[in-house]
Amino acid sequence: MEDSELKKLWQSYDQKLEEARILNMQSWALNLKSFEILQTQKAKSKLNSLKWLKLVIILAGVVWVTILLFLFFKSLSYQNIFFTTSVGIIALFNILAILLYIRHIVLIYQIDNSENVIDTQTKLATLQSSTMNTGRILWLQMPFYTTFFYSPALLNDSKFWLISVPVTLLFTFFSIWLYKNINYQNTEKKWFKILFGSPEWTSVNKAIGFLKEIEDFKKNL
Amino acid sequence: MTSAAEQEEFLKLVEDNKAIIYKICNSYCPNRNDRQDLAQEIVYQLWKSGKAFSGQHKFSTWMYRVALNVAISFYRKRKSTVQEISLGEHLPEPEDKDDGTGTMEENINRLQQFISELKELDRALMILYLEEKTYKEISEVLGITETNVATKIGRIKEKLKQKFLQN
Repeated sequence: MEDSELKKLWQSYDQKLEEARILNMQSWALNLKSFEILQTQKAKSKLNSLKWLKLVIILAGVVWVTILLFLFFKSLSYQNIFFTTSVGIIALFNILAILLYIRHIVLIYQIDNSENVIDTQTKLATLQSSTMNTGRILWLQMPFYTTFFYSPALLNDSKFWLISVPVTLLFTFFSIWLYKNINYQNTEKKWFKILFGSPEWTSVNKAIGFLKEIEDFKKNL
Repeated sequence: MTSAAEQEEFLKLVEDNKAIIYKICNSYCPNRNDRQDLAQEIVYQLWKSGKAFSGQHKFSTWMYRVALNVAISFYRKRKSTVQEISLGEHLPEPEDKDDGTGTMEENINRLQQFISELKELDRALMILYLEEKTYKEISEVLGITETNVATKIGRIKEKLKQKFLQN
């Protein structure tokens, strides 16, 4: 089939649609009188609710970081060195997560359907996939929840070396392993599906796959 | 609240472009019930974005951007619930024979079926090509270079020709 035939076929589609009365305005939900109702409905759109959800998370994060920083400054002493360091590092990870969430909100505000398709879809998919990146980073704070009760006095206790340190090492290993392995390439693996099998994660995975597709599409191959 | 004149003008624009809006809906939404939602969503977004239309690009470039962005996002949201496309669902009334190689409707459905099988972005590219948009306009709508547009169209057309030959 030649180019001209293809285009002719596509144009004949218009005629067919007219004949089939598919484009009848009344039956096609294009009544502008319903726009006021639509606008109210759309104000509650997913993107909008996502924005509010992220704002609530940021607020909760700020409260959590404030508590952590309060504990950090309150406990500054050699005796509390492990507690202070653990709390300080956990606070840093949470500050990073808050910054990432702020970036998400900026992205939500930047999304404009009248921009070119690649830019808009990249922003949308980045927004969805960023949940995975934030999650990856937050896993890294895991070992520090096992070190806050350490103290210099415990260093001479054999139980400390036999139980506490191995537990911390185990948490460290898992958090680094998860940080390295939570990515699109592993989404089909069983452990990933068990850990992140919820519908939210499924859409995140798809978004990451779509970002990859966009990158391939941009290349002139 | 907008004036009646603005609404009237917008309604006329939608009326003038309803065929392409429908074709985009049909390409990204095989489910007939969802298609109406998508059409409504596109018209709503056109209405919403219309206030911000700057005139920097041609009206059609702006319209295709909005319609395709909404359709792709809609498609991706519903992808998990999308079922296989049945050929008969595209056009409801079979008629008109063409030059003997098959009915015109079958060919349109086959073309629509082929487009529906393409990846989201290739699908947008092909719709714009079939709508006889220039490479420049396609590149402005999609955000890729004209050379890239040409390369990709050539490749998709080749596949399409093979598909028609096979049938």
